[in-house]
Amino acid sequence: MTDGKSLDSEFLGEEGANVTGFSRMEVAYGSGDGDEQATAAVASKSNAEMGTIFEQIYRPWNGQLNSRWIRNWSILRHHIYGMFSKGHRPWGWPVRISLLVLFLGSMNDLFLSFLGNATGVEELSRLFSPSRENLYAHVLGFFPRNVFCFPIAAALLVGGMISEDRKNGTSAIYFSRPVNRTDYTVMKFISVAILLSVLIVGTLGVYYIGDLVLSGEGWAYVIDTLPLFISASIAGFFLVITYSSIGLALSSVSRGKFFPAIALLGIILGTKFIAFLISQLYNDSVVYLLSPYDCVAHLGQKMMGITSTYDHPYSWSLVSIIAMNALSLYILSARVSSMEVTRE
Amino acid sequence: MGIKNVVETIELVKSYGKHIALDSINLKIKQGATGLLGPNGAGKSTLFKTLLGLISTTSGEGKVLDYNIKVDGPKIRSKIGYMPEYDCLNPDLEAIHQVAYSGELLGMNPSIAMQRAHEVLEYVGLKDQRYRNIETYSTGMKQSAKLACGLIHDPELLIADEPTNGLDTEHRDFMLNTLSQIVRQGGRSLIMASHLMNDVEQVCERIVMLHKGKLIAQGRIEDLKAIEREIEVHAWGGASRLEEMLVDGGYKVRRTGRVLRVVHIDDSTYDQIISAASKSNCQIRRMQDHEASLEDLFIRIMEKLGYGIKSSDELLDSNPNLKNVDAPPELKGVK
Repeated sequence: MTDGKSLDSEFLGEEGANVTGFSRMEVAYGSGDGDEQATAAVASKSNAEMGTIFEQIYRPWNGQLNSRWIRNWSILRHHIYGMFSKGHRPWGWPVRISLLVLFLGSMNDLFLSFLGNATGVEELSRLFSPSRENLYAHVLGFFPRNVFCFPIAAALLVGGMISEDRKNGTSAIYFSRPVNRTDYTVMKFISVAILLSVLIVGTLGVYYIGDLVLSGEGWAYVIDTLPLFISASIAGFFLVITYSSIGLALSSVSRGKFFPAIALLGIILGTKFIAFLISQLYNDSVVYLLSPYDCVAHLGQKMMGITSTYDHPYSWSLVSIIAMNALSLYILSARVSSMEVTRE
Repeated sequence: MGIKNVVETIELVKSYGKHIALDSINLKIKQGATGLLGPNGAGKSTLFKTLLGLISTTSGEGKVLDYNIKVDGPKIRSKIGYMPEYDCLNPDLEAIHQVAYSGELLGMNPSIAMQRAHEVLEYVGLKDQRYRNIETYSTGMKQSAKLACGLIHDPELLIADEPTNGLDTEHRDFMLNTLSQIVRQGGRSLIMASHLMNDVEQVCERIVMLHKGKLIAQGRIEDLKAIEREIEVHAWGGASRLEEMLVDGGYKVRRTGRVLRVVHIDDSTYDQIISAASKSNCQIRRMQDHEASLEDLFIRIMEKLGYGIKSSDELLDSNPNLKNVDAPPELKGVK
């Protein structure tokens, strides 16, 4: 104690002793015998500067940047992985669920084939096994796949692919980096094409291989049907490329996902419908050259040796489909070239 | 050894048909922080695009970090961090993934990009918000996220286009402090375009000023301010008479109310002012050397170009009506 009096003096209430509270704390909580100098730990005001929540230190990075192909791969994986996992391109849940339904819907022929094999009804099994017509129908049959499944899937995929980069200004993130416009466009195209291929060609493969496994067919059957499967796959890729190029061209001229999606459906189904009406009126199939679906279907029929449902030569359809793709890719490249870095 | 130039252009011209966006620009931007100033349509965006190697030049030469802007665009963009003025972030993506993706687009390994994204988001003050979707961010947080995207690969040169656009005082101070720190602590270079003179003055030691595609000023702010030293006089009772007398005596005078700024010619200027005040029967309440701000410098340069502006806002503010202020037609552009 500063005035020469002990802690006991304070405890005993002697006159003149400072009142510190230390001796009372010792009595209440201390473990000593009471003879030592009592001390108490009391809260004191910290010297810490208030309002500083972190220390801002610039940390340099001396790593190496990878080559162009790694950059391109990052664009591809961003779009494709985004369909399955978080942290990449955020595909909405409605899109993902719709694509899952369309994926399962595209395999209805496999389910029916499975049903035929499981029930032992030979007619059913034969009706849905991978024949020339069935393989064609899986990829290019109008109903139900090219009415519901594939165009809707393409519309969902291309909708915001480029238009949202324009809308959100994310094109600046791409083009202020060493990503050129060709790489950007090609990688976006491949991303859509891969996802669409899973739906169109992938389900064809699942159907073909699945039916082989279910029906227990041998190598002779495989050798007979494999060329048809390959032809159908190639026709499927034509469809993928055509839908992707038209869809991405529409996405590149827009700032939202709704217009490109609706416009793609309008082009695919609208041209088909109008061509159908005109061909019924004038009994001439040449107007089907305006329909992307019909041009690919015509080529597919030729490739798979199926009797053509069109009167005009298949070479016209080939020229038409090349022209459609060329025009779409021209629009796509022109619009991507106009995407800004400094302001959109 | 002199300070290295991070940007150097020689007679750089960019024209779009008849319109000349950049007119014979001879630019030397040294290491450190440089502010880029200029009214709307001065050519700032075109200059940025040219420096990033995104557009071809009509004529002239240019180098950024010793890379040729005509052929080395991708190399330049891999060494530069660019923070755009406008929104450039995916609102549906979490900030951590957006920043990591911007690193991957530079060629960073995904795991390294993710690690670095954590670091830079912490650096820009978004450590606790990094797993939030960008659409939930305030304007200040979005600006910080954009800065993080630009910093992920630790660029030698950061180009920030209006980094304090739309920020409140607190976020603005933080952004400016961060940019200063990148230059002073990180040793990186910064080119900052801004219409706010105070922001530029707070961060940059040099400025480059563009007007109608021409370079009208470049150099250290202090050096540019010293070109025309002024004496500030607070007059009482007869400021107009004093002004008239000084102008008659051959002095350049700028006046706002009772405050006169007289161009310092030599040390006798002080005596001349006192003498003029005495003759004009005007009291001088205060007389001091004027500490010019960047705002003053800008106004003086614009006065030389024929603009009767009272503040930089009239030319540089984002208000579209004010941007219509243009040089008098008789000047036909820059003097």
